[in-house]
Amino acid sequence: MLELRKITSGYEDIEIVKGLSLKLEQGSITTIIGSNGVGKTTTIRTISGINKTWTGEILFEGKPIHDLPPHKRVEMGIVMVPEGRRLFPSLTVRENLQLGAFNKAAAAKADQRLDEVLDLFPRVGERLDQYAGTLSGGEQQMVAISRGLMSGPNILMLDEPSLGLAPIIVQQIFELISEVRRRGTTVLLVEQNVHKSLMISDYAWVMENGNVTINGTGKELMDNPEVKKAYLGL
Amino acid sequence: MYSRLKTSYIVYGVVLLVLLSLPIYAESDFIVALMPDGLSGSALLHVGILIFMFAYLSSSWNILGGFAGQLSLGHAAFFGIGAYTSSLFYVHFGLTPWIGMIGGAGLAALVGYGLGFVSYKYGLKGPFFALVTIAFAEILRLLFLYFDFTGGPLGLLIPLASEYTFWEYQFLEKEPYYYIALGLMLFGILISAIVSTSKFGYYLRAIRESEEAAEALGIHSMRNKMHAVALSAAMTALGGTFYAQYTQYIVPDDVIKIALSIEIILFAVIGGSGLVMGPVIGTFLLVPVGEMSRVIFEGGGAGASLVALINENIPAGEKFGKYMDYLSSGGGGGLAILLYGVILIVVCLVLPRGVLPAFKKLGAKMEQRNG
Ligand SMILES: Nc1ncnc2c1ncn2[C@@H]1O[C@H](COP(=O)(O)OP(=O)(O)OP(=O)(O)O)[C@@H](O)[C@H]1O
Ligand SMILES: [Mg+2]
Repeated sequence: MLELRKITSGYEDIEIVKGLSLKLEQGSITTIIGSNGVGKTTTIRTISGINKTWTGEILFEGKPIHDLPPHKRVEMGIVMVPEGRRLFPSLTVRENLQLGAFNKAAAAKADQRLDEVLDLFPRVGERLDQYAGTLSGGEQQMVAISRGLMSGPNILMLDEPSLGLAPIIVQQIFELISEVRRRGTTVLLVEQNVHKSLMISDYAWVMENGNVTINGTGKELMDNPEVKKAYLGL
Repeated sequence: MYSRLKTSYIVYGVVLLVLLSLPIYAESDFIVALMPDGLSGSALLHVGILIFMFAYLSSSWNILGGFAGQLSLGHAAFFGIGAYTSSLFYVHFGLTPWIGMIGGAGLAALVGYGLGFVSYKYGLKGPFFALVTIAFAEILRLLFLYFDFTGGPLGLLIPLASEYTFWEYQFLEKEPYYYIALGLMLFGILISAIVSTSKFGYYLRAIRESEEAAEALGIHSMRNKMHAVALSAAMTALGGTFYAQYTQYIVPDDVIKIALSIEIILFAVIGGSGLVMGPVIGTFLLVPVGEMSRVIFEGGGAGASLVALINENIPAGEKFGKYMDYLSSGGGGGLAILLYGVILIVVCLVLPRGVLPAFKKLGAKMEQRNG
């Protein structure tokens, strides 16, 4: 449903993503793994439109979207949950969630979406009137994912959702991501937690120096000797 | 929650009633007796006008600087655009300032869109945007000094109307100005309240807190920021027209000066920027403090005596102009400015989010104890 064709992008004049091509299947969880600084975040920022696509094409359901501004892509259902959660700290949890569904396409269904999201994340529902800045790290991540879901996206892109969380919370977050997919949202995951993310992934791409080198199903990559050596520490 | 809301509404309501009726008893013996030596009830109205005008300007700034978090250090530019547009139309074409001010607001909005477009298109954010606004205001001031049609450094004298009617936006007495300024302030509060609870207001706050996250959620940050600049600019321009009509004399060094831009921000920051009532509270607290210190520590320094100035037998407009000089030259031996500085430092250290959030917290605590 989403295809990147030889895209390049970066910052100022530094090219970070160097001719990367990959595909995302409808209803899948697809993971991009790679060490620090290889350009994973830059890649999904380019998909969301926050970074410009310098060259190459991004196709969503066959249509080119790489020239559209970010809000147009959100309206088409491509939503990113940024790295480091980035909630609006001095707004309440409820207001944060509402902001996820303010765009034209989503506004009409906002109430229904809120119920769905709270059904998935009951802990978020207990804290609707709390300021987002006062939540624990795990709660913040749950709110960030909930907020991303509020517009009813086709593709939810998550940038390191497990960053800085205790192992037990990490486990919960990964279970929730599986549940999000089970309910019909395609997930593109960027993760440092290679083991856990490969476990829940249908497909995975290894990124090195601005491009993808190895790809395969989650299971294949877990068995791949290079991946084992470089990313699983085995 | 409900009862606290009600209490604050009652307080605001009572204050509004007092302000509405102030002109009626400003000259009463009781009030005059309370005033520092030599000050009359009309000085009280003058301070009221000053407070309302600054509360309005500060509220206008707050939409951009507070809600959207876009630090503008050049709002005097929009103030100047408002003052000059309506005045030039009046001087050259006899157009009533009531219509001229709409032209000024429209022009300021256009300029705001332009400024926003250029800044945001080239990714100038935070301190860089602030620098653009200062530079813009300074360039505008210099242009207004340079050109002849603006009156250059001599300024623009607004000719007296042959008849004092509402339509002319000129009055002999202070009372009409007082009520117009009060109306402006209420208008500023109303617009702030509407923006703050609207979708647009939420967009602005989201952009302030994390522009990237806002964009990731589909908020068109550039467009919304530009709307904020334009709205804030247009509102500020209306304040400029009021000032021009009140003083009936404007010069670039007065209406487009950095000191004015800074003062507008100071009130908002101390009251609580990003909150509807923050700028108003800040102005009501600070202007009287500044006034008192000027009266108490009169004499000395560049500004000489305020009491002498107020009692001087010159037209109200000229007096106000002199008064602005007095402010900018650090009247009262600079003590008022020093006092502002000290208050600013203390507030930033003790109540970094401003006075209003602290009030609210206190209210909540008392309510807890009672309930
Ligand atoms: N705003 C920026 N301006 C300039 N360079 C940047 C910017 N953001 C990231 N970079 C650079 O781009 C490169 C790739 O960064 P990116 O954030 O995409 O990596 P990543 O794969 O997500 O890494 P991590 O796993 O540490 O999050 C890095 O070298 C980084 O320094
Ligand atoms: Mg990253």
